Amino acid sequence: MVSPTLPLLVRTRGPDEFWRKRKIFKLAAHYRGRRRNVYSITIRNVHRALVYATKGRKLKKLDMKELWDTRLQAGCEQYGISIDTFKDCLARNNILLNRKVLSDLAIWEPRSFEALVNLSRERAVVETLPGLNERSVMNQVYGLANLKIK
Amino acid sequence: MAFLARNLVALTRQARLLDNLTHSMRCLSVTPQFCQQPKLELPTTADLQEVSKEEQKECQKIFDKVNQQLAKKEEGRLFAVVHLCGKQFKITPGDIILVEGYWPPTIGDEIRLEKVMLAGAKDFTLIGAPLLEPGLVDVKATIIEKTLTHTKTHFKKKRRKQYLRINFQRSPNTMIRINSIEVKQQVDKPSPSPINENRIF
Repeated sequence: MVSPTLPLLVRTRGPDEFWRKRKIFKLAAHYRGRRRNVYSITIRNVHRALVYATKGRKLKKLDMKELWDTRLQAGCEQYGISIDTFKDCLARNNILLNRKVLSDLAIWEPRSFEALVNLSRERAVVETLPGLNERSVMNQVYGLANLKIK
Repeated sequence: MAFLARNLVALTRQARLLDNLTHSMRCLSVTPQFCQQPKLELPTTADLQEVSKEEQKECQKIFDKVNQQLAKKEEGRLFAVVHLCGKQFKITPGDIILVEGYWPPTIGDEIRLEKVMLAGAKDFTLIGAPLLEPGLVDVKATIIEKTLTHTKTHFKKKRRKQYLRINFQRSPNTMIRINSIEVKQQVDKPSPSPINENRIF
């Protein structure tokens, strides 16, 4: 009979081997080949995957920011204004929409986005900021006729 | 500067060397006054008043058009951008939005989202700086679900250093259904009594 003395309990590795490994194998169910079937290889890969998942949650936020910036840049380019000037002018006009909303507007609400661009273009002209390219057919800025260029 | 001075001396003798002078100035990347880019200048004050009157008329026309459309209920489906729990959402009636993290309201609560930053319809957009007038746009919403997220595993490991940490976390999530978005007042009239003066951006 085995007496479960304290030193032995310290050395035991917890629950039965089958159940201990099953937790890991469940996470690796969608792997392929030996990565799924051999425990020593499985645990290596599962640990790596969990590390990636933990880091990825932070990276996702950065990626989304980059994506919104790209979309916003495309939206600004079609009206001939640089993205930095656009955001600067919106802030000067006290319009504090964020990247997510602005890129959403550029995609789904083109007329509202055009209104925002017009506002920022006017502000850029009044404050003589750089970043305005020649106006395309699509952007016709309201109120510019009132400002006379000498 | 020596060659500039020499050119200036030459200019006093021969006026036709003017081009030469401008060229030398351009070398210094100094542009003389007469060939600078045309600068934007506002018209004189008398003109300015006229212009501002015209602008006011234009604005009034636009306001009137918007108000007429609102009176006839022809504005169609509205959308709005609201600021909620530190995030901005573009919403339209019928949407469900997800608020992450702890948020006190419970299921079944009907709330009014007051921080409206932008509201738009088919033909007009109301842009707030940064928020619209309190009471101008009425966004009503209902809390429909309070749950927890899926279990996120927070796992850290360093190779060959006997370092391994694993934690599990679930944070609360709240789902809100947007019931209605309506423009309550006329757009050019300031509200007689602000609904909530304590609202902060």
